[in-house]
Parts: sequence; C-alpha cells; structure tokens
Amino acid sequence: MLKIENVSKRFFPDVSYRTLLLHNHKPGKPIVALDNISFDQAKGSTLAILGPNGAGKTTLLKIIATLILADSGQVKINGYQAGIDDEKIKSILGLISGEERSFYWRLSGRQNLEFFASLYGLGTKYARKKISQLLDYFCVDYANQRFDSYSSGMKKRFSLMRGLLHDPQLILLDEPTENLDYASALDLRKFIKETLVNKLNKTVIFTTHNLQEANFLSNRFLILHKGRLCALGSLDELRKKVNNNSADLEEIFLKLTQGLGKQ
Amino acid sequence: MKKYLAFLKKDFLVESSYKMAFLLDIFGILTSLLTYFFIDKLFGRQMARELQEFKVNYFSYVLLGSAFFSYIGIGLNSFSGQLRSEQTQGTLEAILLTPTRTSVILISMGLWNIIFATFNLLLYILMGIFVFKIDFSQINILSALVLLLLTITSFSSLGILSACFILVFKRGNPLSWLVSNIEGLLGGVYFPIAVLPGWLQFVSHFLPITYAIRGIQLAVFRGYSLSELSAELIPLLAFTILLLPLSLRAFEYALKKARKDGSLTHF
Repeated sequence: MLKIENVSKRFFPDVSYRTLLLHNHKPGKPIVALDNISFDQAKGSTLAILGPNGAGKTTLLKIIATLILADSGQVKINGYQAGIDDEKIKSILGLISGEERSFYWRLSGRQNLEFFASLYGLGTKYARKKISQLLDYFCVDYANQRFDSYSSGMKKRFSLMRGLLHDPQLILLDEPTENLDYASALDLRKFIKETLVNKLNKTVIFTTHNLQEANFLSNRFLILHKGRLCALGSLDELRKKVNNNSADLEEIFLKLTQGLGKQ
Repeated sequence: MKKYLAFLKKDFLVESSYKMAFLLDIFGILTSLLTYFFIDKLFGRQMARELQEFKVNYFSYVLLGSAFFSYIGIGLNSFSGQLRSEQTQGTLEAILLTPTRTSVILISMGLWNIIFATFNLLLYILMGIFVFKIDFSQINILSALVLLLLTITSFSSLGILSACFILVFKRGNPLSWLVSNIEGLLGGVYFPIAVLPGWLQFVSHFLPITYAIRGIQLAVFRGYSLSELSAELIPLLAFTILLLPLSLRAFEYALKKARKDGSLTHF
C-alpha cells in the first residue's frame, strides 16, 4: 500500500536582511526534519508514529499527503509516486489534521462538507447521502450552524468527516484525539480500530503523544527523534531493540528518544 | 464545471454572510457614480481636442475608462487576493489536498470577484444610460465583447503572476502595485494618452491597459469593427498568448517552491 524509501527533508530558516547584506548570500543552517526514512505499510494495517515535539511526525504525514516535497527519496502509494501522480494519490488518501482553521468559519458545517465533497468529485446526490451518514455516525445534530459556533471537539469531528468523505484507502491522522473530551476520544479510537481498520480494511497511519492511544490502536510503531528513525516494529521488536523483554511502550519511548538526545 | 460552481457558491455564501460589507460594496458603486455626476456638472458637455478621436465628451470618456479600469483591477487582484485570504484562513492546504487541478483552483478563486466586477461594470453602464444620458447607441457589441474577453484573459494572466508572489513571498505584490499606480496614470484611464508628453506615450505602449482602454472607447463610442480595432486587439492577443501559459507555468513553479519550503500554510 505505502512504500517510503530514503526520504529526507531539511528546512532552511528565514535569513535576516542584515545577514544577507553584510555576511553572505548563503541560506542559514538547515533544520533536519527527516533523515533517510524508509518503511512499508501493508493494506488494512495501522501504524503509530511517535516522537517528541519537533521530531518530524507531521512533516512525514504531509510528505505522504503530497503537501510537502521531500528533498530526496521516494513515496509510493498503491504504485503511484508522490510528486508525479499527486492527483491520483489525493483521491485515495485522506489527511485529517488538528487544524481548526482549515474550514470556512462563515459557512455551516454542512456547507463546508458539501464544498469539499465537490472538490473530491463526489456527485451531489451521493455527497448528500454520505454527509448524512457521517453526521449520523458522529452524532452531529447541528450541521446547519455556522462553523465558528462549534466547540473544538465538534470542529475535530468535522475534520474527520471531511477526511472520510471520499472513502480514502489510506487515512492519515495527525493527533486524532487532541482537543477531544475523554468519552469522545474513546469513541473515536473505537471507530478507528473497529470500523476503519477491522471492518473497512483501511490503512491508518497516525501521530500521537498519547502512548496508551498508540497501544490501543496499533501493534506497529515508528519512533522518530530529531528527524531520525529510532525504531520501527511491533512491541516485541522494540523490546529487543532496547534489550528489555518486559519494557512497556513508555519505557521504550523514553529510552530511545532520551538516549538519542544525550548523544 | 462542478468544482467551479462549488467555489462560486462558497464565495457567494462567504461574501453575503458579511452583510454590511456586501451592502457597502453595492453602495460604493453608487457613491463613485455620484462623483462622476459632479464631474459632469463641472465639465458639462464640452469636448476636449484630444477627445475628438473618440467623438465623446470628457465625462463619458472617464466614466467608461474608470469603470473598465476598476473591472480590470478587480480581475487582476482577485487571484492574489483570494489566494491570500485562503492562506490566512488556513483553508488553502485543505483545498490543495483534494484531487483538483491547479489551474481549476486558480481560475475558481478568481471567478466570484470577476462576476461581481462584471455586475459592477453593468451597473455603471446602466447608470450611464439612464441617469447621465450617455449615448451608447454607436456600440459595436461584438467588438466590445471580444475586447472584454481578451482584456480578461491578459489581465487574469497578470493576476495569476501576482498570485505567484503571494504564494512565495506571502506579502508584497509588485504587479498589483504597478497596475494600481502606473497603469492608471499611463494607460489612458482618466484622460487620453495624447495629453501625455511623447516619452510617456512611448512607455504607455508597453502596457496592455493602453490597448484595452483605447479599444473599449472606440468600440463603444465609435462602433469600430474588429478589423478597425486590429491595432488594439493584436497587442492584447499577443499579451494573452505570451502571458497565459507563462503565468500558469510560473504558478506551478511557485506552488512547487512553497511545497518544497513547507510554507503552504505560512502567511
């Protein structure tokens, strides 16, 4: 389903006019966002991407979603290559980010979904049916209210609904339960695991800071630290990596990320 | 087509939700028409020597010229303005995540403003006919429409180039500055370029607006046919042929650069 080979990404910080004029014309020292990342992900499986803030988790999701171009390496989804077959990739992929501002706040939730359904190429009749289904599933009763009147949790539900409108095969979730209350977060985790993965056989890749959530949703983990891939595999494989057969995910995470941090 | 209509509906809903601004936009057209009314009172029906070519008085000339100029201005700025608005709202990334061609996104972004500007232009003309009793009976409709189409396409190309600056630099748009500040002066909007000194008249021939304004005046007030307007239509066609593919390529490049820099959501 997804194959990532040797993906690297560096960002150059903005250079001040003073530096440009007085010192040199070279860009500043780059920040390494991702360093030679490679992994595969099979159809119908789940992968949790873990890492401290600034580890490169969101950059990796955005590179898979074709929003950011990698400096080197290849991303292939169902044989389509990012940077070449972007439109085909976008039609089979849904990125659900925590960004509330990615909606038109002056429109209602339903109007927003209808707009994006048109951009995903859904027919009017099908789009209405799909939107009603999603609104029912996510228990949204106030779809006709203006988007700016919704709570953060409700806005998150609309992000999820938008990402699922076109029935994507690969679903990327950037911190899916951030801003959700405890009960809603539990419901969402259940929906991801039971409906999206087990029932609909979707491939799900998500980032999270919540290790319990990672454990509940996935049995495969990718740990990033300062753009480098520290570990990839099941819990047992990660235990071998840290030479501790009884370590839990929290211990493994701390050992790998803090250990590398000290190097 | 469905995607264009979706953008149009979305922009109409967003714009009309700001009810006061929406009403003020409409009211703004009426106040600028009042300005022309007083210009008319001041100059009366006198015809300046430089306007004899157009066989029209100053008021009729400036009404059509400035109505057309504001039309061009809105068309030019609509792409960059809408792009900037999608950047600051945070919706640009969500749009770019959908399988929609870049050219469709770009054209759709300018559509609502161009339609609103057309409505604006029509209102100017209707007020010109019914309130100021301007004689439009000589108009050659085919010539005016062809001229309008070529003007829209050539200035939309400049608008797309403006959008490239917004995508890469976020703020600071030299093309928009050039049109607002230089083209109004040199393009014959408020007076025929015959009143300019020779060297400025020479410079004005490098600006598409000079041909657009002169062409529309001659098509509307003198009823010139397409062949009689060839001196205006050919440069506009050349600007379109040169600028349209160039601007689309430039936008693809700017988008690629923003994706490379990871700055699509920056503003």
